Amino acid sequence: MKVQPVSKDTDYFTCLGFPRRLTLDPKKLEAKFYELSRAFHPDFYQAKSPKEQTISLSNAAVLNTAYRTLRDPIQRAEYLLALESGSVKDIRTSPPADLFEEILELQDTLEQYRASDRESDEGQQLRKTLQTEKQTLDRRREEMESQLRQLFTGWDQLQDRGEATSQARAERDRILKQMRELLSHRTYINNIVNDLAATIAS
Amino acid sequence: MAYSDKVVDHFNNPRNMGSFKKDEEGVGTGMVGAPECGDVMKLQIKVQNDTIVDAKFKTFGCGSAIASSSLATEWLKGKTIEEAQKIKNTDIVQELNLPPVKIHCSVLAEDAIKAALADYQKKSDTEPVDTK
Repeated sequence: MKVQPVSKDTDYFTCLGFPRRLTLDPKKLEAKFYELSRAFHPDFYQAKSPKEQTISLSNAAVLNTAYRTLRDPIQRAEYLLALESGSVKDIRTSPPADLFEEILELQDTLEQYRASDRESDEGQQLRKTLQTEKQTLDRRREEMESQLRQLFTGWDQLQDRGEATSQARAERDRILKQMRELLSHRTYINNIVNDLAATIAS
Repeated sequence: MAYSDKVVDHFNNPRNMGSFKKDEEGVGTGMVGAPECGDVMKLQIKVQNDTIVDAKFKTFGCGSAIASSSLATEWLKGKTIEEAQKIKNTDIVQELNLPPVKIHCSVLAEDAIKAALADYQKKSDTEPVDTK
C-alpha cells in the first residue's frame, strides 16, 4: 500500500490514535509515537517515488508536532480547547483585574530592585519581598494545576459517558470555560514567576 | 527577529509610564491581558470636557506590547473621546512596523483603549452631573 498524506483536518488526537481525553498515559502515547514514527520515517522511503518521499516527510513532521503537543498536559489542554472552543459560546473570559493589579505592582517592585544596590539594606529588603511573593505565587500555581487536573478528569468522565442531554452540554461548556480561565491565569502567573526567578537569580 | 527602530525607541524611552488614581474624577481605566502569551496592559486616560488631556500606561510583557501601549498613550493625548474610538490596531502595526507574530500586541493596545474609554463613559454616566 502506498503512503497516504495525513489530512489537514486530522487533529493530533486522531493522528496518534487517541480519543479526545485529557488524562493520557504518557507511556502509551510514547509507544504509539514510536510505532508511527517508524512507519513514516523518511529513511524507509528512499527507494520510493519522490511524491511518496515528500508525503512521508510531511507526515513525520505532523507526527512530531502532534506528539510534542499531546505529551505536555497543559499544551494538550490548550489544544483541546482550541479544537472544542468553536462550539463553546463566550469562551473569552473576563480579565482578572485583581491579578493584573498584582502583577503590575510586582513589576514595580521588580524595577525598584533592579535599580537598587543589591548589597544595601533596601536591596536586601526588596529581595526578601520578591522571594516571599514568588513562593506565594508558586503555591497558587500549584493550586491551579491541581484544580486543572480535576477538570481534566471531569472532562474525561463526561466524554466517557457520552450523553447528549442538555445537562451534559451545559456541564461540558462549564468545564471548558473554567479550563480556559485557569489556563489563562496560569500563563499570567507563569510569566511573572519566571521574571521573578530570573531577577532574583541574577 | 529584529524590532523596528520605533519599537526599540518606545521600549527604551517609554512615554507616559505610570498611573492615575482609579477613582480620580475624569479617569478611565482599561485593564486587559492576552491569555496566549500572558501579557498584561493597563491604560488610563484623564478626560476634561470630552477631551483626553493625559494618558498613562503600565505594561508587563514583551517589547512590542510596551511600545504599542506607549504609542497609544501618545496618540490619545489631545484627542476627543470620539476621535479616540477610531484608533485601530492596524494604525499601531503600521506606525511601529510590527511583524505578523506581534500583531496581537497591537490588538491588546486597541482593547486597552476601548476598555479605558468604556470605563470613563460608565463612570461619567453614574457620576452626578455638575449643575451650576
